Amino acid sequence: MFESMTGIVLALLGAALAVGLAGIGSAIGVGLVGQSASGVVSEDPDKFGQTLLLQALPGTQGIYGLLTGFLIMQRTGVVGGNLLELTMEQGWAVFMAAMPVAIVGLLSAIAQGRAAAAGVGLIAKRPEELGKAIIFAVMVETYAVLALLASILLLFGITF
Amino acid sequence: MADDSKYAYAVARVRVLENRLLNKGQIDRMAEAPGAREALQVLGETDYGSAVGELEDVHHFEDLLAAELGRVYGEVRRFYPEPRLIEALAAKYDVHNLKVLLKAEGMGKEAGEDLLYPEVGNIPLAKLQVMFATEDFRDLPCHLREAVEEVRAGWGENPDPQLIDIVLDGALYRHIFTLIAPIPFLEEFFTHQANLINIKTFIRVQILKQDEDFLHRVLLKGGDIPGHLFHELLPEPLEALCDRLALSPYAQVVEEGLQEWQEKGRLTRLEKLADDFLLEFVRSHRHQPFGPQPLLGYLLAVENELKLIRIIMVGKLNHLPIEEIRERLRDVYV
Repeated sequence: MFESMTGIVLALLGAALAVGLAGIGSAIGVGLVGQSASGVVSEDPDKFGQTLLLQALPGTQGIYGLLTGFLIMQRTGVVGGNLLELTMEQGWAVFMAAMPVAIVGLLSAIAQGRAAAAGVGLIAKRPEELGKAIIFAVMVETYAVLALLASILLLFGITF
Repeated sequence: MADDSKYAYAVARVRVLENRLLNKGQIDRMAEAPGAREALQVLGETDYGSAVGELEDVHHFEDLLAAELGRVYGEVRRFYPEPRLIEALAAKYDVHNLKVLLKAEGMGKEAGEDLLYPEVGNIPLAKLQVMFATEDFRDLPCHLREAVEEVRAGWGENPDPQLIDIVLDGALYRHIFTLIAPIPFLEEFFTHQANLINIKTFIRVQILKQDEDFLHRVLLKGGDIPGHLFHELLPEPLEALCDRLALSPYAQVVEEGLQEWQEKGRLTRLEKLADDFLLEFVRSHRHQPFGPQPLLGYLLAVENELKLIRIIMVGKLNHLPIEEIRERLRDVYV
């Protein structure tokens, strides 16, 4: 298996993990908030709009992962159609560059889902405090954005 | 992360239900109403409205409370992911039904319908009645079955109603602790509850000057205040209990409760403080976003609310002064 492992394969593995792990995190997070939101809406259907806002929040990590994945595909020529010949070193570099958004995306989306689900409980009691519930959940977003920033800077730092 | 996310739906739903509990203002307005009918009118303006409208006679307010209790338990049973919690809380209604049926059997009478809880317990009442008719108790949970068989084996000429209560209460807590063993928060809650019941029992035993043998039989085994502590304190004056429990969480409950006993010769304050203690314990955990805490809190809050309504209505029907009703009122949860 390792003989066939070339630089480009490693780079694509990085892209797959960035999209995959961050996407899994978002799916778990959004699902969790969805459960909470159904609990509230089953008793109080008017709260659909407010709970939907909170449910969308943990979805961003998946988008960041996809963005990073696209960037890797574009830089390595997968999208353009002429695949670059990468050395092992370049392959590993791209793989590492994908890790911040993959790992932080996975865990922060779950953490954000829990914060947003708690926020759903908050607006069940006090619908007028929707803004605060969103702020609490958005605080978690900071670290996903930082990870995305790190991944992008790393990717643009690699010369092909 | 733990799999406590299975509670997400239920917790959120409970948060909405909590909004429908009566608040302090509504309870106060009920207490201040000039009579039973007016108090019921205040209740009619809340979520109890339709049930109050159907009530024909003020004296039948118990029907309303029983129906509400059955409705709430029925509702949470439909959506709650952890049936053991509800089973543990509802077990006391099964035991109540068993006690009523046993006493009726002992006296050779029909059990009074109004004494039974038809829809709250874990075991449908009809099933219990069949068990008594066929004398086959195999379907009961093991601790309860043993207790029923123990009582029935001891049926002599003169069935002792007190024995039924003692044996079944002991079995109830053994049953509850087997049910909730895997959930630490519930274990903590029921340990507090068993401790408080033991403290109340001990105080009564001492006031009634019963012997050590009797004390041993009536103390519940679930609490973490060791039984020998109560036995050591039995020959001493009641104040010794305050000193021994001074460092426990129950210091205030015991001290204030006994103070009222010494001043006025009644234990209503002790009962109230014990209830408030448990409610406060659950309330301090109610903001957990995932977990069994909010539902336990909600169910206790409902039981507490029904108790408050009962205290007010009984007080109003007996023309108690407002101040005296107020003294007996517990905190509200929300």
